[in-house]
This record gives sequence, structure tokens and C-alpha cells, in this order.
Amino acid sequence: MATPTMDKVEAEAVSSPYITVTFRIRRFNPEISDAAVWEDFQIEIDPKERVLDGLHKIKWDVDGSLTFRRSCAHGICGSDAMRINGKNRLACKTLIKDINPDKPITIEAIKGLTVLKDLVVDMEPFFQAYRDVMPFLVTKGNEPTRERLQSAEDRERFDDTTKCILCAACTSSCPVFWNDGQYFGPAAIVNAHRFIFDSRDEAGEQRLEILNDKDGVWRCRTTFNCTDACPRGIEVTKAIQEVKRALITRRF
Amino acid sequence: MKIHKYDTVIVGAGGAGMRAAIESTKRSRTAVLTKLYPTRSHTGAAQGGMAAALANVEEDNWEWHTFDTVKGGDYLVDQDAAEILAKEAIDAVLDLEKMGLPFNRTPQGTIDQRRFGGHSRNHGEAPVRRSCYAADRTGHMILQTLYQNCVKEGVEFFNEFYVLDQLITEVDGVRKSAGVVAYELATGEIHVFQAKSVIYASGGTGKFFKVTSNAHTLTGDGQAACYRRGLPLEDMEFFQFHPTGIWRMGILLTEGARGEGGILRNKDGERFMEKYAPVMKDLASRDVVSRSIYTEIREGRGCGPEGDHVYLDLTHLPPEQLDAKLPDITEFARTYLGIEPYTDPIPIQPTAHYAMGGIPTNVEGEVLADNTTVVPGLYAAGEVACVSVHGANRLGTNSLLDINVFGKRAGIAAAEYSAKADWVELPENPAAFVEEQVERLRNSTGGERVAELRRELQETMDANVMVFRTEQTIKTAVEKIAELRARYKNVSVQDKGKRFNTDLLEAVELGNLLDLAEVMAVSALARKESRGGHYREDFPNRDDVNFMRHTMAYREVGADGTETVRLDYKPVVQTRYQPMERKY
Amino acid sequence: MSAETPSAIGAVEGAAYGPDNPAPYIEPPRKRTGRTPRSTRGNFEMAAWLFMRLSGVVLVVLVIGHLLIQLVLDGGVSKIGFAFVAGRWANPFWQVWDLLMLWLAMLHGANGLRTVINDYAERPNTRLWLKGLLYTATVFTILLGTLVIFTFDPNIR
Repeated sequence: MATPTMDKVEAEAVSSPYITVTFRIRRFNPEISDAAVWEDFQIEIDPKERVLDGLHKIKWDVDGSLTFRRSCAHGICGSDAMRINGKNRLACKTLIKDINPDKPITIEAIKGLTVLKDLVVDMEPFFQAYRDVMPFLVTKGNEPTRERLQSAEDRERFDDTTKCILCAACTSSCPVFWNDGQYFGPAAIVNAHRFIFDSRDEAGEQRLEILNDKDGVWRCRTTFNCTDACPRGIEVTKAIQEVKRALITRRF
Repeated sequence: MKIHKYDTVIVGAGGAGMRAAIESTKRSRTAVLTKLYPTRSHTGAAQGGMAAALANVEEDNWEWHTFDTVKGGDYLVDQDAAEILAKEAIDAVLDLEKMGLPFNRTPQGTIDQRRFGGHSRNHGEAPVRRSCYAADRTGHMILQTLYQNCVKEGVEFFNEFYVLDQLITEVDGVRKSAGVVAYELATGEIHVFQAKSVIYASGGTGKFFKVTSNAHTLTGDGQAACYRRGLPLEDMEFFQFHPTGIWRMGILLTEGARGEGGILRNKDGERFMEKYAPVMKDLASRDVVSRSIYTEIREGRGCGPEGDHVYLDLTHLPPEQLDAKLPDITEFARTYLGIEPYTDPIPIQPTAHYAMGGIPTNVEGEVLADNTTVVPGLYAAGEVACVSVHGANRLGTNSLLDINVFGKRAGIAAAEYSAKADWVELPENPAAFVEEQVERLRNSTGGERVAELRRELQETMDANVMVFRTEQTIKTAVEKIAELRARYKNVSVQDKGKRFNTDLLEAVELGNLLDLAEVMAVSALARKESRGGHYREDFPNRDDVNFMRHTMAYREVGADGTETVRLDYKPVVQTRYQPMERKY
Repeated sequence: MSAETPSAIGAVEGAAYGPDNPAPYIEPPRKRTGRTPRSTRGNFEMAAWLFMRLSGVVLVVLVIGHLLIQLVLDGGVSKIGFAFVAGRWANPFWQVWDLLMLWLAMLHGANGLRTVINDYAERPNTRLWLKGLLYTATVFTILLGTLVIFTFDPNIR
């Protein structure tokens, strides 16, 4: 046997404290109806498992038509942002035991983007806003033969915003974005921040000009929903405030 | 059915695909087909770093790196390719830095480097600092940086397009690539992409194991599409098991944790790697560490009530160092295990991680139809390909390197080929295979469920062809896979719709996994020796006389329609280094 | 949808939707697209944002001062009458004070409401009408107030 312990693992899994949890999922399938409806599923699950594991149990064993995006299953790829018990989270980073499994767990698609089917939304407007802030390093002059030098402090300056995985949890938690999808949204601003405060970049001025737009940073109402929603722990609201300050002082 | 015409089509938008796209978009009209949004690719899960002999912090050179790669691969590495990998590594890292990648820095402001498993100074004398890194998010930064540059270059992406078939047309007795057939997830529509060249960069196939660090989406679609069209798969028996996956979940904890000073301990608190690798200790190559962990577990020194894991101990490292260098993996331990790594050791077990084998290519990324013949217009790079720079066991940090070096090479080669080549006629009725496959699955009323078959496949793979293998276990796996393949014909899906039918696609992916699992098991059965990631308890030694050669697996279809795997072999390219016994 | 099924709640038995005839997607208001028009308003939004903060601070002083004098000091509410107002507006200092308070409060409030309309009005037409109403009311109030402050005639009786 290659893995001599496998049988024991399974034996323990059987006796482990499975509990019954109700998943209340907002379903929408345009091939069946033009309206979204809540549907309840009862499943047996170990409370130490993830919400994503619960969704998989439903999809694989109960209703194969339940549709959601997922890939890495450990909070790196950003596919499975959804609204769980009214808060935006990644299903793969939310353990059942942490969200009170005694009550039904409500799961719906993130808000402010077109719902295509069940928990799947159209991400195109979100990525459009991202593309609109020039999210790439811009430099002038000749390239050096070796790497560009950057002090550890300069590198640290924008470390927080390099963590973004573009899951859209922040943007789709923003009340301004819910009602006006033309607002750039937190994620695009975070990715602009990542370059504005990168000492190697030379297009900070242009990016600030873009975010000075009527749908730019000035629409932020500092509700901190985005900071609460970010699965990577980025201080999103702070990043937006730093961009505002840079716009007023033109120093960054 | 829609028909599109592009000079170059790239299948997959992970590290290799986007690196290729950046080059090929500048030179030819390029489309990138990806079954996910590009930033969802599993390159982003890589943590530790990317090796290059920059010598920023201590003496190093690319020749030492070549040696480590060859030795790490247990001499099954094609040494000409390894040399290219190590030599071009330096430019690959500098390219990424110039694209904006935020590497960690030294006090002088250059790219910082750290130790990593199997990388040594002067042919194995002592560990060397060769891995360029950005905290424990190097893969994430590479993926983001490449995507940012794709946005900059205006790369044309077709997101959520599943490539299900490779089109090949015979022209004057030569089989040439004519394009690919893709299924659009959003609408269920089938698209034919006619292209002068096609680059596969669709990643690995780890999902046939249960405990794996791989994403749900890594189902070997590229390998399977080529294999079904009669192209060979090389060295599929070699699969890497990463020593430190989170216990039971398989989530990766980087080797960088040991590079920063983390120690593996058994239930007695003993630093057991000292016994197995006196010089490199916890930083021996991955196959060695994984086997050592399982040896400890089997001999009753595993931790926990079941004795089924060991500990990764970071408690002696200062919390500031953990926060600065390993923020993500310490967060994984907190999120998924409820453990505080400052004070408690983390339970780990080996996890299926990386396919060394894949679609055989030469160093330009051109796909081989047999040991020597190139398929004009067909390229592959990244985990889907087998150049072979990883041989029987990949060194940590060499995969992020592989995708950048060979992704770039394949991108340039394919675009240059597109510029001079003529269009190849599409086969008659090009979408027939995919249409038939999709309709059959959608309309099937059979009683078998996808999830059940996949579960059984994963269980048999974990039990029989994981770290330790014997003739008996592999035969058990071969028989089980044959049974599952037969049952797969009766598989049905519940979702009959067209829009976002992921139920249907999971069934297609299962078919790919079953094909590749069979190739893997059959290849492993025939290799009666132990080498790198392939360890046979009944043949515990390396056998350079009979098996210093690459396995080439072909799909054979008998007159009665039965499918079998035919094995052939390909010599290993050796230049500088003669095989030696491998010690760490 | 036929006239007999006015409700959009829940699947309608025998509805005509299917794989080849899907229902419309559930769209959010004002989607961003590749052609989303770019504004050329320069620093207006920044100025508006700054104005809100600065005017807010100044208004705190003006309003609290105003209330203290009117309601607490010097005998409190009972002293207020036509004569009291007439007396105050005879002094240019109080004229400027009240004028500033009027302008800042109106602009601050109007800008706040403009923001609320931007945030919550979903349809372009609704926006247009609400903002039109807001601006008209603001201009009217400011003009009228200013007129009264400067042309106030203590001998009107």
C-alpha cells in the first residue's frame, strides 16, 4: 500500500461529528425561469469543512445543475467569491463552523454584476474597470541590463495591494457599485494603487488623472465594506484614501 | 458552430500560456483560449520562488544549477534542455522584474534570493541561495504580472472556452496541426479555431489523486486532446508528491518554509531528515523527503492519534520572519487547521503536486509525434509539456522557471512559424468529435454518476500509485481504471442545459482523467526500477542499464475498437554529467 | 410573457423558457463597458469632495455660533422677534455671517443630495429630473435668501 494510513483516515471520517446544515441558495437559471428563487438543501457535513465543500456535495450528490465557479479551493485563485449570510466571502476560505451552522446558511451571487446562472455572474465589467486603470508597469528611458534597483522600504510601500487576486469581493460589496456599475470600484483602485506607489513606475500621474474622473475615487463613501470583504486582508479603504490624498497633494 | 481564424492559438492562460502570448501577440494575430479567467490559473498557487543563478547574495553560476536540475531529476533529464533552462533562467527573472514583478529585495536593492530544496553550491557541497521570491506568493505575483502585461500588449482572450479537441490534417504524408475545437461555457456553443500554430499550455493533471495541491480544474485536458489524436505522452509515470501538504486537505505549504529554517519532526520530536539526507537534511529533493515522511509514518513514528502525519515545525523562527517571508502559509494554517504557527507545529503529509511527464517537445517547444519527428504547427510549454527538464523529479522553483523559459521560447517559435507557414485545411466536419461527445453526455440516460466514478478513481490512485508502488498495487489500479472506463460509457449528467453547464464539463474532464490515469498506471507498471518520483518497492534501485530512457505512451485502437496503451522508449540526452548515485 | 402572468415571482408552470429560448439575465443598473464614456470634468469632483469637508468644518462654527446666540445667550429664545432680526442685519458682520451660512449650507446640502442621487438613482432619466429639481431649488433658495439679506428693510411696517 502506498498510503498505509488511508483506511484509518476513512474510518475516522465516518465516526467524526457530522452535522446537518441547511444551505439556502439563490438559484437562477434563464433556461427555466426569468426569476431567481431561494432553494434549501440539507446536507451532512463536518463543520471543519468549507462552504465550497458543501456546494460540491450538493452538486455532486444532489443537484448537478447547481452552478458556481471554483478552482484552487484555498483562497488563491479568486473564483468563488459569493455572498454568504449577507457578506461577501470566498466559499473556499469560509469554514462551516465559523458562520453559525445552526441557522440556514444563505448563499447568493455577488451583487452589482449581471447574474448569468445561479452563483455565476458576468465578470466582464469588473475586468473592464481593472483594464481602465492601466494596471501594468510603465517606465521611460532605456532598460537597465540587470534588474531595476528598489529598496526594501520602497518595495514595502505597496506590498499590501500586490496581494489582490481580482475576486471582486470588494467591488461587489460596495453600495455605490451596486447602484452604479460605472464607478471604478475598490478592486480597480487597489490595482492602480499598486502601481502609483511602486517606486519603479512612471505613470502615476496618468493613473491619478483617470481616478480623478467623476466615476473615480471621489465616489468612495468610506463604508469599509470592501476592507471587511477582502479575503486577502488588504486594507482596501485605506488604499483608496491614500489615492485621494495623493490626488490632493500630488505627492506619491 | 462558429469558425475563427487566427495565426496562433494558445490553449491555457496560466504562466506558460500568458508568457507565450506576450511574445506571440507582438509577432502574429493571437488568440488565447482558457477555460478559466486567466488570473484563476494555478500558477498563482505556487509559493516559494523561481530559481536563477543571479548570484545576488552568494556565489553561484548556471552550471551548478544545471547539475542540480539533472541530479534532482535522477539523471532522466535531457541535459541539453536543462542547460538552456539554467542559462536562460537569469534573463527570465530579469524579464519579469522589468515587467513589474515585485520581488523581495536585498539591502542593496537587488532581487533577494533564498535556499530551496535540492539547490546546491558547487555540485552538492551545501545549500545555496538561488530562489528569487516575493514572500510566499511568487506564483501569484508571476501570474498577476504576466496578466498585467497581457493587458498592456492587448492580448485577445477567450475566457471560459474549453478546448476539447486537437485538429490534425495530413498534408503530403505529414500530420500537421490545423487548429482546435472549443466549447464555450457561457452559451454551450462549439467554436472551431483554425490556426497555423497551436500552443498547449493547459497545465497539469493532478486531479486524479485525492490528496493533491492541484486545483479542481487541473484535469489534463491538453494532454488528453493530443493523446486521443495519436500523439505520444512522455514519462507519465513520474508524478511529484510534495512533502508538505496540509494534512488531509493537500493544500500546499511551500518548501520555502524549510528554506527559511523550518524543520520536519516525527512524533518523538526528532528531526528525522538528518537520517535520510545528512547534508541537505530538510532541503533534500522532494521525492526523497516525501518517501522519508512515509517511511516514518509506516514505521510507527507518525504524529496524531492515527499516526498518519508528521509536523512542520516553524515555532523556533521569529514571528517577524514568518510574517515577512511566509505570510500566506501561516494564514492557511490558521484558517484551515485553527493552528497558530508561531507556537504550534503544523500537521502535514505529502500531497500530489506536479506531473513531470506530458506532451513531448524539443527545446523550441515543438511537439513530437514520435522520438524524433516534429508535428508542424503544434507546440507545448509548461506542466502540460515534457521537454524534459524535470526528468524523474522536478526541483522546487524549477516549474516557475520552466513556464517562463519555455513559454517564451514556444511563443516566439510558434509566432515565427505562423509568419511563414501556409494555412492548413481543416479536416472535413471539424467539430464532429466534440459535437458527438457533448451530445452523447447531454442525452445519456445511463445510471453512472460523474462524482462517484471520480471518487473511486481518486481513491484507487491514492492507494495504489502514490509515493510507494509495487507490481501488485499498480495492477490493482490498472484493473480498477479499466472498470471505471467501462462504466464511464454509462455516465449521465443531470444538467441538460446549454448555459454554464459545468455538470457536463465535469463529465468531459473525468473522461480526460481516466485516459491519463490509464497511461500513468501502464507506464508505471512497465518501469521496473525506482527513479525520482517513481518508487517501486519491488525494484528499489535505479536501473540505468534497462531504464535510462524516457517512456513514450501511444494510444492504440484495435480493429474491434478496443483501446490500449502502447509503450515505446526514447533515449535520454546526456552531455556533461554521467549518472551517479543520488545522495543529499 | 402573456398578460395573464403579471407576476415575475417564481417559475411559471409551462413557461416558454428553455435552452434555446432563455429568459433575460438579471442585470444591474448602469453596467461598465468598453465604451463607458470618460468624463472631461477635470478637477470638479475633487473640488466638490474637498468643498464638502471644508464647508463642513466652517459650518460647524457658523451654525453652532448662530444657535448659541439665538437660543441660549442673552435671554434665549424669548428675545427673538422682528426687531431682533432687524437689529442684527443692520450690522454688516451679521449680514456676512448669515450670508456665508446660507451659501455654504445650501451648497453643502445640494452637493450631498447630488451625491445621493448619483448613488441611488438607477435610470438616467430619473437622474436628470432629480438633479434638475435639486439645482433649481438650490439656485432659487440661494438667490432669494441673498436678496432678502441685502435688501432687508427694517421699516417695512
